[in-house]
Amino acid sequence: MTSVPIVPPPAPQPPPLPPTQASFAGDRGEFFRLAARGAGLELVTAGFYRFWLATDIRRHLWSNTLIDGDAAEYTGRGKELLIGFLFAMAILVPIYLAYFLIGIEAERFKEFASFPLILAFYAFGQFAIYRARRYRLTRTIWRGVRFWMDGSGWAYSWRAVLWGFLVMATLGFALPWREAALERYKMRHSFYGDLQGEFVGEGKEFFKRAWGLWVLAPFALVLFPAFPFLYAYFKAIEWRWWLSGIRFGGVRLESKLEPGALIGLYWKVIGWYFLASFAVGIYFTICAAIITGLGGGHAAGPAALTKNIPLLVMTVIGYLGLILSLNVVIRVYLMRDLWGRVLQSVQVHNIGAAANVTAKGELASALGEGFADGLDVAGF
Amino acid sequence: MSIFESGVSYQNNPPTVYFDGTSSRRRLVTLAFSDALEISEDGALPARWAYEDIRQADSPAGTLRLSCLSAPPLARVEIRNTALATELTSRCTRLGENRTDGRAVAKIVGWSLAAVVSIVVVVLFAIPLAADRLAPLVPQAFERRVGEASDVQIKAIFGNRVCTNAAGQAAYTKLLTLLRGAAGLDLAPVQSSVLDTPVPNAFALPGGKVYLFNGLLAKAQNPDEIAGVLAHELGHLKHRDNMRGLIYNGGTSFLIGLLFGDVTGSSALIFASRTLVTASHSREAEEGADTFAIDVMHKLGRSPKPMGELLFRVTGKEGDSNLSILASHPLTEDRLKRMTAEDHPPSGPPLLTDREWAALKGTCGGAAKK
Repeated sequence: MTSVPIVPPPAPQPPPLPPTQASFAGDRGEFFRLAARGAGLELVTAGFYRFWLATDIRRHLWSNTLIDGDAAEYTGRGKELLIGFLFAMAILVPIYLAYFLIGIEAERFKEFASFPLILAFYAFGQFAIYRARRYRLTRTIWRGVRFWMDGSGWAYSWRAVLWGFLVMATLGFALPWREAALERYKMRHSFYGDLQGEFVGEGKEFFKRAWGLWVLAPFALVLFPAFPFLYAYFKAIEWRWWLSGIRFGGVRLESKLEPGALIGLYWKVIGWYFLASFAVGIYFTICAAIITGLGGGHAAGPAALTKNIPLLVMTVIGYLGLILSLNVVIRVYLMRDLWGRVLQSVQVHNIGAAANVTAKGELASALGEGFADGLDVAGF
Repeated sequence: MSIFESGVSYQNNPPTVYFDGTSSRRRLVTLAFSDALEISEDGALPARWAYEDIRQADSPAGTLRLSCLSAPPLARVEIRNTALATELTSRCTRLGENRTDGRAVAKIVGWSLAAVVSIVVVVLFAIPLAADRLAPLVPQAFERRVGEASDVQIKAIFGNRVCTNAAGQAAYTKLLTLLRGAAGLDLAPVQSSVLDTPVPNAFALPGGKVYLFNGLLAKAQNPDEIAGVLAHELGHLKHRDNMRGLIYNGGTSFLIGLLFGDVTGSSALIFASRTLVTASHSREAEEGADTFAIDVMHKLGRSPKPMGELLFRVTGKEGDSNLSILASHPLTEDRLKRMTAEDHPPSGPPLLTDREWAALKGTCGGAAKK
């Protein structure tokens, strides 16, 4: 009840320390149970549980992320996401309606003239991405001090759109510079207490490491099995470059992620995908066999499906089972395992600079997350 | 136990970590249990937390992390000693109150099911009702604009191959004018045309434009067959099915999309459930248009049976066919049966002369290709 007023102690001047290793302490079984239970609840609630599942996943990942021996914490809640989503819907529905009406007007003059409207939605999606990041960041706590963000979602959005044009015009060549510019904007407006963030990664470095992939990409699109390798390489290079560019005040991050470190994860997901599809295929065959056996043998082919209610129901069950199990696979490998693997590669230099940071920053609303959900641009 | 209640701190506790919520300084403190949790640092007492205000915060395994309602919201005490954690847990009765337990999950499930029921009711009853009531209220001018917008797209998709043969066009216009008269459509007549595409279909755009595809014309054997199909399309216009469908499809896809949210692969799921829901709705509209066509043909003293025969010729017995355009229609064999039942010997004059019929058939140049 009573909290004694605290006298601010003199700021200690720690000697330069060796870099500290970031680590992930999460239990894999626990995360699997969380994801599996969440997938089941998503099914039961027709998807509404997604707000709480996203929150549970973040709480698990954040609270098992240890930097200099202290774990982070995620203080967002599912209810906030739900409310943000409902608010976003209240704003998006009239916009969708206006989009529809303007689209009709535009199409009268020239076919597919509604392209600028698609662009407007893209810009809105970028705005949502920025605001969603702000929500997540203000719910991220480490050592009793929150991260926070200022800056403007729209200022970010037009930068993203202009850079997007440049990337398209150069067939993807400008992508590293786009990422660098956008990260600079985001990090410049990110804070940990009173420590300001900064992004020092350069497009040039990223390009130097990844240009080979850019050359190979057209071949990989033709030769399917090469694509996951390429993508995994690209993601690993991107993570490493991104993490190594992050600064908060005097604190410097460095990542030593090997370029091949993520290949296994992507292939495991693909393997599970084929395995699950195969299992569902067998399930469908058995269902069809049982039902034709019972129903006199006249039901065959996809046309019979629409007239056979039990078969339809069993098909839907099989399909949902496939989607839900793949969701669990993706969350375990591409969220938890990827998070852990990337985190293990991070070294934090001069953590002493964050030893006595003054708390600052306000909570941001979850509206941005709601937009991101409504526009299907949601990230982590 | 009594020793703790007297307020004595036990000195040989492993140091506990304390963050005061105003700075990131990691403070090593000693905990003491009196009538409240006393957090002391080097003999000073920076904080006292009442037991009933203490809540558990997320932490990795092996650490008990606490927050306090009456302290700064981000102040944390981290206990890494099991004995101490057990001791504290036994005193704080409301430790787990802000966690998502079984009851909270049950509440989420309950409310979600209520939302699902409400959305299903809206999709099944409210939206069809709204579509029926709103469609007649859509201004004619707006409907025409929708038609013009889709017209531009259709021409782009089918390569803008409008058949311009004058005699054929004249025959087509005559046929449509006859049908419009019998149908009692109050729409201003709009330039309609035959499009040179092998797709066997015909459709009416909002605003009154009726397109006939050469593919259908090629399969027709007499004017009554085409007249029936065109009358069917005019029926859609008369009933304003386009507008109704627009409102209905927009509403259901939005709501069903809301329902499934971001469950991966949801677009397929949305598509499937929407197809199921809207199929029955559109079948109803098709039956209405068929009724209308039968009516118009009777008014003109012609039989609707040829239309059924033409459709049957196009689709064959259904199940063998997977023409997507016709997928939401009633089964062709049922339609043929219905139109055969309405068959009367012709009492009116033929709708087109032989010459006009030949001109219409040949309007796209290559005469009848089949």
